[in-house]
Amino acid sequence: MRLLAAELRKLTYQRAMWGLLVAAVGFAALGTASTPVIFDQTSDGLGFGTLEDQGVVDSVYANAISGYIFAILVGVLIVAGEFRHGTAVATYVAAPRRGQVFVAKLVASLIAGVVLMIISTLGGILAGVIALEFYPEAADPSVDIFVNTSIAAVVSGAVLGVLGASIAALLRSQIISLIGVLIWLFAIEPILLLLFPDQGKFFLQGLITAIMALDVESDQFNFDTANFTDPVSATLLLLGYALVFAIASLVVSIRRDVE
Amino acid sequence: MVAIAFRGLTKVYGGVAAVDNFTAEVQPGRVTGFLGPNGAGKSTALRCLVGLSRSTKGRTRILGKRYPQLKNPIHHVGAVLDSRGFHPGLTGYQNLRVLASIGGLPGSRVDEVLAQVELSDARNKRVKGYSLGMKQRLSLAAALLGDPDVLILDEPANGLDPAGIAWLRGFIAEQAHAGKTVLVSSHQLAELQNVVDDVIIINRGKLVASGTLEEITGGQTLEEAFLRLTSGVTS
Repeated sequence: MRLLAAELRKLTYQRAMWGLLVAAVGFAALGTASTPVIFDQTSDGLGFGTLEDQGVVDSVYANAISGYIFAILVGVLIVAGEFRHGTAVATYVAAPRRGQVFVAKLVASLIAGVVLMIISTLGGILAGVIALEFYPEAADPSVDIFVNTSIAAVVSGAVLGVLGASIAALLRSQIISLIGVLIWLFAIEPILLLLFPDQGKFFLQGLITAIMALDVESDQFNFDTANFTDPVSATLLLLGYALVFAIASLVVSIRRDVE
Repeated sequence: MVAIAFRGLTKVYGGVAAVDNFTAEVQPGRVTGFLGPNGAGKSTALRCLVGLSRSTKGRTRILGKRYPQLKNPIHHVGAVLDSRGFHPGLTGYQNLRVLASIGGLPGSRVDEVLAQVELSDARNKRVKGYSLGMKQRLSLAAALLGDPDVLILDEPANGLDPAGIAWLRGFIAEQAHAGKTVLVSSHQLAELQNVVDDVIIINRGKLVASGTLEEITGGQTLEEAFLRLTSGVTS
């Protein structure tokens, strides 16, 4: 518990972490609030339909979880920052049992990811409520979307926080880890989801979307949530990814010399 | 019981032995100078000692145990191994507070050690604004947090100006007076001569000499003895 308390203390001391939280809230709020505007100003809402459809309104609120990119960045910074600033030496001298130290970092990353996602998702939902006030014709959202989005926020925050920490431990470079996860989430996964939806749906964004059990489709984007995995399988697969990466990074962290 | 023991320590990097079958002991309550030219293997040996690097062969002991076996080591051993080891965006107090919480120490202890190294005025200053000398003092404060019996100081004089070096000499003398075991590596041989009781010299990863200051110097200065024993290899 001391190690975890120390990790959480370190987190709250760092301005960059607060900056990422603010950025996540802003990103989620902007993403959610701008969606009805985009749907309203394009013919047939980019093929998804109009705001009069409940499924489309639900997909507006689903954007409230878009801050998850920042959860993975927090995980990266928690571990890679130790190598970048050389603080790993002081940490491991004070607590030489590396396995325990790294588990504390993984748990801290998980907690930070979940907290960040809960706050940013609430910000996104609030922004969605305000934005949709300007569209009286918009359908009422389903009750399920708020429950499912909340579950997706918690699961994605936990999984991406752990993944970020694990990737940073494996690569040990803050820059390479940050660039790597950004390219993966912003370029590779969207391309896979668009061009190879049957395979792409098993990666992070496809699985997070699946947890929300949306009912939308667009021929224009070759996108149909009916083809996604069911929410329980998606959750289990995401947790499996996190577990595999966590174990691999734990083994490497215990065996490798601290530079 | 010896305070620190290296027994046949060997550490190989990429086929090259940075430390080669190194055996030496540090006696409790004494200040021991750990000397060697650059690249002699001092830092590698110290990193193996505190578990940062895994030895290829041999073993090390502190207070009779492997370092990771020490319960809450911050209370037994204080180590200065890297003055870069602080988060630049955190204040001096915050950096030490994190380490203190690992050892279960209260925030008041952080203020005590900051006062001990004369950094109280810089308590709330971010470390990125510290001079190299201030960072060295902060490293020493970190080493003192748990009021340990053993201090391991790797090049603590690096970056210090003459006033800082004089301060460091007083600091080491103070620790020795308090009965602590100090293992200090440094190139400041003239300064070390004034504070060490014993000397260990390592060169190319191997033990060259060890003994009391008098045994090693044999009437010469420490610098002359060091150059003689390391075959004139200058540091």
